[in-house]
Amino acid sequence: MSPTHSGSLEEFIPASQTELSRYITENAATSQKQLFPVGGRTSLSVCCPSSQSGIQICTSQLNRVIDYPIHDMTITVEAGLRLDELNEMISAQGQRLPIDVPQSNRATVGGVIATNTCGPKRFSYGTIRDYVIGISAIDGTGNLFKSGGRVVKNVAGYDLAKMLVGSLGTLAVISQVTLNLRPIPESMSMVWFAFDSCQTVERALAALITSGTRPTAIEYCNSKAARQIAAESRFELPSEHHVICICYEGPENVVKWQANKIIEEWNLFSPLSSQIVELEHATRLYNAFTEYQTSSDDPVTLKAVVLPSQMMKFVDAATKLNIAIQAHAADGIVFGHLPDSASSLEDVKQLLSQLKKEIDPKTGHLTIYQCESEWAALLPLFCAPPPGWDLMKQLKNSLDPGQLLNAQRFTDLVET
Amino acid sequence: MVEPTNQTMPHAAPLLEELEAGTPSFSALVQKLTQLLGKDGILYDADELLVYECDGYIVDKTAPDIVVFPSSTEQVSATVKLCNQFNVPFLARGAGTSLSGGCLPIGGGVMIVLTKMKKILEINLRDRYAIVEPGMVNLHLTNALKGTGYHYAPDPSSQGSCTIGGNIATNSGGPHTLKYGVTTNHVLGLEAVMPDGTIIELGGPTAEVPGYDMHGLYVGNEGTFGICTKATVRLTRDPESLRTMLAVFQTIADATKSISAMIAAGIIPAALEMMDQGIIQAVEEAFHFGFPLDAGAVLLIEVDGLEIALDEEVRQILEICHACNVRDIQSANTPEERLLIWKSRKQAFGAIGRLSPSYCTQDGVVPRTRLPEILEFIEETSQRFGLRIVNVFHAGDGNVHPILLFDERDQKQIQTVLEASEAILEKCLELGGSVTGEHGIGVEKINFMSRIFNKTDLATMETVRNLFNPRQICSRDKVLPQHQTDEKSTITQSHPTRRAPH
Repeated sequence: MSPTHSGSLEEFIPASQTELSRYITENAATSQKQLFPVGGRTSLSVCCPSSQSGIQICTSQLNRVIDYPIHDMTITVEAGLRLDELNEMISAQGQRLPIDVPQSNRATVGGVIATNTCGPKRFSYGTIRDYVIGISAIDGTGNLFKSGGRVVKNVAGYDLAKMLVGSLGTLAVISQVTLNLRPIPESMSMVWFAFDSCQTVERALAALITSGTRPTAIEYCNSKAARQIAAESRFELPSEHHVICICYEGPENVVKWQANKIIEEWNLFSPLSSQIVELEHATRLYNAFTEYQTSSDDPVTLKAVVLPSQMMKFVDAATKLNIAIQAHAADGIVFGHLPDSASSLEDVKQLLSQLKKEIDPKTGHLTIYQCESEWAALLPLFCAPPPGWDLMKQLKNSLDPGQLLNAQRFTDLVET
Repeated sequence: MVEPTNQTMPHAAPLLEELEAGTPSFSALVQKLTQLLGKDGILYDADELLVYECDGYIVDKTAPDIVVFPSSTEQVSATVKLCNQFNVPFLARGAGTSLSGGCLPIGGGVMIVLTKMKKILEINLRDRYAIVEPGMVNLHLTNALKGTGYHYAPDPSSQGSCTIGGNIATNSGGPHTLKYGVTTNHVLGLEAVMPDGTIIELGGPTAEVPGYDMHGLYVGNEGTFGICTKATVRLTRDPESLRTMLAVFQTIADATKSISAMIAAGIIPAALEMMDQGIIQAVEEAFHFGFPLDAGAVLLIEVDGLEIALDEEVRQILEICHACNVRDIQSANTPEERLLIWKSRKQAFGAIGRLSPSYCTQDGVVPRTRLPEILEFIEETSQRFGLRIVNVFHAGDGNVHPILLFDERDQKQIQTVLEASEAILEKCLELGGSVTGEHGIGVEKINFMSRIFNKTDLATMETVRNLFNPRQICSRDKVLPQHQTDEKSTITQSHPTRRAPH
């Protein structure tokens, strides 16, 4: 989605962390303009509503590699480095950052942290919070601070990197990051299964907790999403049913053994069909699952986080509302692309309120993941205050007392 | 719009009171706490307080004035509110296994011991989490999960006695960190009593919650953000199988090279522990395992995963070790043989006890490829100071635990140990590492904070701490060094002595 801004936005492209720090200090002291940190601009529609005026802090020139001690499997980079560039460099050494990032040709390391982006592999590898071992950032008054370091194990001082995860540019501009890397596994395969009902899918998913296999990702899609993912990956998927894709990584023989084993285990649930997908087909299908959460042209994409055991109930309700659903099924993370028929803000709000009823507010969260830029200012991104919301507000005030870092977005996160 | 906070308020707060037995305010506080917790829930006789004057770090000792044993979040909250009302400092304590003085009650006050709050509140395998009270012993959770196919992954060496609440405070590690991560990677959410007594919830049982990662920020606060009263932790699938090996190398450089080569080959062992020549000799002197006394290093390597994968992994490890000039490598073929291999690692510290009346363990970290340099420096330090130093540590993470042997009856040796420790930690920093991988800053390493972090870093950390604990009424004078203008009493290290190693 390319944003069209009705507000007036200027751009500042710092060449170094210190220049950026100076700029923010001056801004806080004098003009006090709103600042919007942007990386690859892949999440701009929700993070920076079109009505905003101020200055985009663009990290495109903060893209240097500071240190890559290959055998230590850590890398220190500036936050504006694009994921594809990072991946190209580290994959040449047989290493990777095991975080799936859509639009990785544009997305930046800092942006991944600020939006807490992740994909299918989060089930087995965790999220970006688990890989940031050191961070530098600049708060709303221009203070350039750091925490952590460059070694994989370190408990000196408070872990300030964590508070920047998911901060949407409202707390500090992330400027430099040290990441822990992992080896690239030898091979990857996927196995898809088609099921006739949400209930059967739930039974099969529940059985996975004691499976003899160790999946690295477990993806679900309903028939509407399956058609779109199939089109994207140029790989045929069943298009009239519920589809589960299970991913295995590791040595080739071990992956093969597991793929066959899960088919044997899941015979118990009488899948309508199933197939092992290998090599480049598997890669294409996997990438389509990674990209799908941002690939839609639909007006609104929502993200729900629920307990895995409650997920299919939510999926069932959403499917009945003609929403295309993809889910990281073992983590209870659901992405839903609202149908074109939701053509007005009122329609969207109506759908959201129906979906909200399907979520236990104690253990579930509904959020807007992407939307039409002109709607972003009018939709609270979080449908309810998350736990710790009061502390989050105080933290925001402490690090950005002048309310200069994407402040309206933060205030609008929760409906008041 | 949210209102900006008054940034200057914390500094304007009145100083905390010092409790003194026999005074009216002491008696009034004891009476109120007794009403709240019952006679069994409170200690205040000087003799009984002695046990609580230090934790696993016994260099500095200060007894609290009152020790309480609440059994619910509400009781913790009410206790904290009373401490605020009487303006006395307080802090939490689990099992007291901290190795950095995390539970040292600076300025006395009330110690809130959480060992009565040890229930498992929920185990949910379908959603892969457990909710436990903070006084739950780490190993007890894993024991309760036996037979389910799941366990709680963080396993500090003290896991038989340390508590989950304490693990959260220090972000504890353990031998399995390399593959499974540390405590923060396994905490999904928590309930805590803030230093003013209010009860908050952060995170939750779902895979994530929207907004800032507040529970992530909370983990590793070393008790300075309040008192964790409930933890929601991730459960981890048990490995189907494991293989354990013991590899003897001529030099530390060869052993280190093999570690890097294994990890570069995509093998992430479940445990990768190194023993150097000094500790090999100590173990041999004590237990006669049959290690060659001239060996430079022994590596204990354990891999886990699916049975079908392990033979090939072991083959690759053997190949790598041979390419790195391994002298001898034994594989455990039976559970008994595995236990024997682990015994040599676990009894290493027992062996030290036979060599020296006292010892002091440090917790530095270096990038793993710099291990030969730090170990060489440790050897030089040992010679320069005329101190025996041996090493047994988590090699895969570059987390060294040099053990300095000395006699605490000799004041001169004590000073030497302090100087040698400082030199080693300085060197860790110089090599791009850290002064603590898992034991925490506590009071022990607080002087290093201003060498690792600049003023802005420390000020930001203080801003964050003030959000939770603006008056430092909760676990005061830990983690962050005091302002130079601050007139509060400082803790200086007096003498190192025997500390339980990790």
